[in-house]
Amino acid sequence: MTDIGHLIFNLLIFPGGLFAIVLGLLLMGIDRKIVARFQRRVGPPLYQPFIDLVKLTRKEIIVPETAHLQAFRLAPLLGFAGMIVAVILIPIAGVYQGLEFSGDLLVLLYLLSLPAIALMIGGSASSSPFGAVGFSREMVMMMSYELPLLLVLLTVALKVGLKTGGIATFSLSKIVGFQLENGALLFDYTMLPALVAFLIFIPGTMGVVPFDIPEAETEIVEGPILEYSGSWLALFKLTNALKMVVVLGLAVALFFPTPLGENTMLNLLWYFLKYLILLVISITIVRTSTGRIRIDQAFKFYLKYPTALALISLVLTLVKG
Amino acid sequence: MSTYTIPVGPLHVALEEPMYFQVQVEGETIVGLEITAGHVHRGLEYLAMKRNIYQNLTLLERLCSLCSNNHPFTYCMALEKIAGIKIPERAEYLRVIADEIKRIASNLFNIAMLAHIIGFDSLFMHVMEVREIVQDTKETIYGNRMDLAANCIGGVKYDLSDEKIKYLIKQLDKLKKPLEEIIDIYMNNKFVRARTEGVGILPKDEALRYGVVGPVARGSGVNNDVRVKSPYAAYDRLKVNVPLETGCDVRARAIVRLREIQEAINIIQQCLKDLPDGPTCIDYLPEIPAGEAVAKSEAPRGELIYYLRTNGSDIPERIKWRVPTYMNWEALKVMMPGNKVADIPLIINSIDPCISCTER
Repeated sequence: MTDIGHLIFNLLIFPGGLFAIVLGLLLMGIDRKIVARFQRRVGPPLYQPFIDLVKLTRKEIIVPETAHLQAFRLAPLLGFAGMIVAVILIPIAGVYQGLEFSGDLLVLLYLLSLPAIALMIGGSASSSPFGAVGFSREMVMMMSYELPLLLVLLTVALKVGLKTGGIATFSLSKIVGFQLENGALLFDYTMLPALVAFLIFIPGTMGVVPFDIPEAETEIVEGPILEYSGSWLALFKLTNALKMVVVLGLAVALFFPTPLGENTMLNLLWYFLKYLILLVISITIVRTSTGRIRIDQAFKFYLKYPTALALISLVLTLVKG
Repeated sequence: MSTYTIPVGPLHVALEEPMYFQVQVEGETIVGLEITAGHVHRGLEYLAMKRNIYQNLTLLERLCSLCSNNHPFTYCMALEKIAGIKIPERAEYLRVIADEIKRIASNLFNIAMLAHIIGFDSLFMHVMEVREIVQDTKETIYGNRMDLAANCIGGVKYDLSDEKIKYLIKQLDKLKKPLEEIIDIYMNNKFVRARTEGVGILPKDEALRYGVVGPVARGSGVNNDVRVKSPYAAYDRLKVNVPLETGCDVRARAIVRLREIQEAINIIQQCLKDLPDGPTCIDYLPEIPAGEAVAKSEAPRGELIYYLRTNGSDIPERIKWRVPTYMNWEALKVMMPGNKVADIPLIINSIDPCISCTER
């Protein structure tokens, strides 16, 4: 364990806090720009998410009269706090080690569900019927994408655990360390189905088309966050940006953490490039080429394809070791 | 499971105009629907009875945006019936051309909105981009992107020179290929199909019972196209194929609208081919005697009926119109129950509601 000063630096400046927020917002800006170019629009400038946030923080906060104030106020903080902690659990190979303790993958799994839970709490506390619909949809979405995620994590943990002489390793730093020595899991064919399953999981958890069902703008007008305004809404947006960093970072750590070399700056750029590629594959292209599906269709989809893919990897891992 | 009410509207992102639906849902399933209208009432019927017949031409064109051409068109037909005016043949063809161009733009807009509602924004952008071809055409020929101001009592206000005809043919040809692509997407794209197939079903017998009109009726296999059943202007000399679908769902209505665009292109091409020479308008200021008349036409959304009574002065004594949406929105009560909350805006959009016309 690092000392307290180090921890606070990690939490607030790098790789969590400031760095992650800037990275997440920048990724969102890039995503919006690419989508706009796909649709033959000019699109907003890359810094648009930043000025959106600044504008939001200057706006008045309006709380519905019938809302449950405490829950309504705590929900955005809950999601944000969860994500800011989650960011420092993710190692950046060659740059940052992560918090090296043996169960960090499990902690991360719990933290990952916090933004969705925050949305549910906020939505139901807002007392709006759209919030209520959003609540139930968020719940169904969570149940559907958590299963494949669990299976993928289990597969990776088993793979690394079996190779290093244990049963399963729920430690991200060990998983990354293993890959640095024995080559990335990306190049192991038994892990490819799991990787694909994880790529399908990303748009679901990030809530982008076709899986933006809990917040579907044209159906239930943003659902849970409909009643939020001002800096509380800004917190939700920040949570989303951080979540993008966490989810993409987890994908990189699980499957392709290999750094370029010894140079820290170069490694950081390489890490950013991996993020970009993942972002385009799993979010940008998906969201430009599809329409939103219904919640029942999404539920069936997640229980079928990603789960099956993850199971294939799991079985292959168990058989081949 | 308990029932609760979801308010859709009066201002809702998926509705272009204010309209208030109180939807009773059980979980995510719709069980009932109540429609509250009257948010865009502007007193236009009263206003029309305060102005003279010429001023009304301008007023009625501003009744609504997407079917703006049909209102003065039908109004002129009613007036001409009362006064017994026979308009020049060229004018009849020109009226049809103006009407069909508006129909293309209107249907494309509705189709684009469908894509927007299911969150398929790339498709939305694509359809709107294709629609720009039509908008450019309107601007070039009529000088306006929305209100064409094509009709006047006894004829039309515009003429097509050879150059403009050439331009129009070129623009229509430009429209054909992207249109085929769009039809293919709406019929075969997995995401569009998953959302539109089997949604908002209006069986044929219910369609007949509610007397729905336009593409909503034709999507349920009921052919009541005024252009064929009771031809007006030049439609009796043109060959109009009415696209019929039997799917009875949102998809069927969308496909009917798309096929109608293709048909509109055909009709305009026929018009341009047989366009007779001659004047485009009568050369005198007609006097309107006392009398009453009913005229109807096929607007992009269905049958539009005008009732007009005059008393010999230049101010109409009574003017009343029945718009297609008035017939169609009651049928929502059949389409909605049993569907999911996610489908509400989709089904509302599928009747292509024009609230400005309906509540005037």
